[in-house]
Amino acid sequence: MSLSWTWFFLLLATYPWLLGVDLLTDACAGTGVALGISGVVIIAPCRRLRRWQAVLFAGCVGFLYEAMRPVPDGSVALVLVVGAIFLTSNRPSIRELPLMFRGAILMNSLACTGWFIASGLRHQAEVPLVSMHFLGQWLLHLMCAAILAVLLLVPIALVQNFTMDKAGVPRADEAT
Amino acid sequence: MESNRQGAKASYVALVFFVGLWLLLPSAVRRFNREAFAEFQAPALHLVGKGRDLARYWELKSRPAEELVAASRDLARINAALELKLHTLEDARLENVRLRGLLHYPQSSEFATVVARVANREATSWWQRIVIRKGRSDGIRPGCPVVFGDRVIGRVSTVHLTTSEVELVTSPGFRCTAFLEGDTERRVVHVGGTAGRSLSAPRAKVTIIPIDYSPPAGQAAKVVTTGLGGVFPAGLLLGTLDTGTTETAEKNMKEAWLAPAKELNFIQEVSVLIPKYPTAGEILLTPADNAKPEELR
Repeated sequence: MSLSWTWFFLLLATYPWLLGVDLLTDACAGTGVALGISGVVIIAPCRRLRRWQAVLFAGCVGFLYEAMRPVPDGSVALVLVVGAIFLTSNRPSIRELPLMFRGAILMNSLACTGWFIASGLRHQAEVPLVSMHFLGQWLLHLMCAAILAVLLLVPIALVQNFTMDKAGVPRADEAT
Repeated sequence: MESNRQGAKASYVALVFFVGLWLLLPSAVRRFNREAFAEFQAPALHLVGKGRDLARYWELKSRPAEELVAASRDLARINAALELKLHTLEDARLENVRLRGLLHYPQSSEFATVVARVANREATSWWQRIVIRKGRSDGIRPGCPVVFGDRVIGRVSTVHLTTSEVELVTSPGFRCTAFLEGDTERRVVHVGGTAGRSLSAPRAKVTIIPIDYSPPAGQAAKVVTTGLGGVFPAGLLLGTLDTGTTETAEKNMKEAWLAPAKELNFIQEVSVLIPKYPTAGEILLTPADNAKPEELR
């Protein structure tokens, strides 16, 4: 398997998780909460992939989230790409499991904030940016994003690490 | 380590360059990008939807034969009653056509119906939408009304090759004109979706209700489409007034909340009404060179 296509195989391996969370959102549609794990799924790849591969992977994950939702173009993808560049430049910050959890919570919350604010700006006339309605909804979505990050980081990372092992990507300690 | 840091700086510079390029790119490129990623996900949505249908099929198949016999007997009775009604309606239709012909009255909107299964639902503050498993290849166009029986579900907002996104009645982008039950003068009111609150039922808002309107006593007033604008056929049920009407701050109009006619978050199947002739909006958006004269009647 060519190493340069690892990001794509990783995307295919990760997609069922993204779809699963979409189905969870479907099941919770009555609650009015949109769930997402776009920030969680870039943590394990950022520990091992080369920077350009991690950036490409993060961009694709972001665009996949935006494709079927009325979210402004690039709002999630851009946040994830910036996150991927930061994480691949500071790999020690996600080297150990507790640090990975911290990174996953932060990245997922940032991705959630990205789409929530970008979409909310379109409805400013109805819901001002500084209002209890806006802040309350945002905090609720942030809380859900953080909970999902904690719950799903380990299983997603296991699947992604397995895929990267099969593709022959160097382990996290050897990656630069 | 130092080279890694320098590489990071170069990456940030490249990112700024690409963001600038992204902002300057024509919208067609962004649309193509969005479409490509949507099509990537479409097979998985179809697979999930078909899996659900299969589960439902096996669930129905496991029911006792007596129950199925009783259901088919009830259906046969309903069919017989509907056939009678169909004959009556056919007579009315022919009479209608004859009278329209006599008066040279313009042809009313005609719709082809496409039944579609719901693949996915999503509700947030900023949008309430469903994804259906029918798309451009089935003739669906953006703006087509989506109904369940005689109840309005929403409007097609985006169409992909084999899937479409439907904006629900309660979604902030939804707009429609309506008549209120109990208003003998048939004055037009406005129905629009609003930014919802999580953990509460999504609602739309009915505005510009005349100040002298009072809903019928003892029942929730129905809100039905007007047929104006050519998008929704007239007489479809949008919902009922959820609470009483309240006066606006200017005290010259009233407004009220609308409870949707159908429980939108649990719907499994919808019908998309595809206009047989281009709507006024579509004609306006069609470049003059491409417009066929017969479509502009």
